[in-house]
Amino acid sequence: MDIENVFSSRLRIKILKILVRVGELNVSEIARRLGVNYKTTKTHLKLLEGEGLLQHKVFGRIRLYRLNEHSSKTKALQTLIEIWENESRQ
Amino acid sequence: MAQRVIITGDVGAGKTALSQRFGVDVTREAREHGIKLRYVHVNCREYRGSLFLILQHVVSTFHPNFPRRGYSAEELLRILVQILDEENTYVVLALDEFDSLIEKEGSEAVYKLTRLQELRQNKPQRLSLICILRNLKAIEQLDASTRSTLQSNIITLQNYTKQQLVDILNGRVSLAFKPIATSEDTIGLIAEVALSENGNARFGIELLWRAGKYADAESSETVTPECVRKAVSSIIPAMRKNELATLGFHEKLFLLAMARLFKQSQKAWVSLAEAEQTYTIVCEELNAKPNSHTQLWKYLHNLSALGVVKTEVSTTGSRGRSTLIYLPRIPALELEREMGILLEKGEA
Repeated sequence: MDIENVFSSRLRIKILKILVRVGELNVSEIARRLGVNYKTTKTHLKLLEGEGLLQHKVFGRIRLYRLNEHSSKTKALQTLIEIWENESRQ
Repeated sequence: MAQRVIITGDVGAGKTALSQRFGVDVTREAREHGIKLRYVHVNCREYRGSLFLILQHVVSTFHPNFPRRGYSAEELLRILVQILDEENTYVVLALDEFDSLIEKEGSEAVYKLTRLQELRQNKPQRLSLICILRNLKAIEQLDASTRSTLQSNIITLQNYTKQQLVDILNGRVSLAFKPIATSEDTIGLIAEVALSENGNARFGIELLWRAGKYADAESSETVTPECVRKAVSSIIPAMRKNELATLGFHEKLFLLAMARLFKQSQKAWVSLAEAEQTYTIVCEELNAKPNSHTQLWKYLHNLSALGVVKTEVSTTGSRGRSTLIYLPRIPALELEREMGILLEKGEA
């Protein structure tokens, strides 16, 4: 998928922002923070995971998503988001 | 190899401190040997004795944002084991105030925790338990099979002796006070009070801190025994006034004498001989005939039984044995005022 398609969605960028901030979260909680339903959230999470930006772990019925720390794309993204957030806070 | 240990002892005997110290040491030792081990200390009472909340806390040390709801304690236990397996980590779980877990969850929870391993044979034993509780009686509430999994290693902590308390306090003094700010007397007095609270070291340390605060508030260079008395009366509700009112006339005089003596001397203790001299003076003031030594000695016992003063027989003095009197709880100033009022009332 091309970069413009991955980042064309506000929700996907929000997901990345949330995970940069808190590190690791389950699907329901991400959905709650986005203010959208579980299914939509999961679709976006799957897409981001498919692009290698996220990874997840399963604990029984619980799925915890986090940034894929092995991806250089993610590292670059993380830096971008952090700088962005810091500057807009000042 | 997973282990289970019970630590038991009175309040302030050092159960928690011992366990936490062990935690630090064992974690360091494990790290040196390249073993991943975590020490997790949970106060069961803080989590209302709920196995779910306790396990939740343990899991959250690995995954801080783990969802708080939506699954059972059993699931959580399985999840914990999964996490430990995946991260190849061992956990020493210290369950402080263990009795509250027993009270809330009964045998079932403890059984689950201890028998965890039997469901997964030939796999590393990842969870060790330290159960900390005041009284072994709580264990008796558990059913026989659960009890048998627990009772292999029991460490019983004895109450601290006065000397140990003095050492502990001196340790803190060297960390927190200027070298000349405290005296042997002051520390001795604090230790004495802590000893009367069943050797409660935490209480002693709290007293030391409060006494220091009182000294600060009075911009005094040193922490005097009087500061300690103020600290005590701020923690323990001081002697009830009506108890003092029930004392006999001469007992009141004797107590007044001691209060004056303490006020003047700024020492932690006075000897019976000194107290007797002052008592004679007080008697003269009030035109009363002083009672004999034996009588005073009786009064002293009575007062110490009431908890107004504390006595100790010293043999370290120049010669013979002398009785030392401590005034642990009530500030001398307050005691003097109170006795003055009571005596006036008695005369009126």
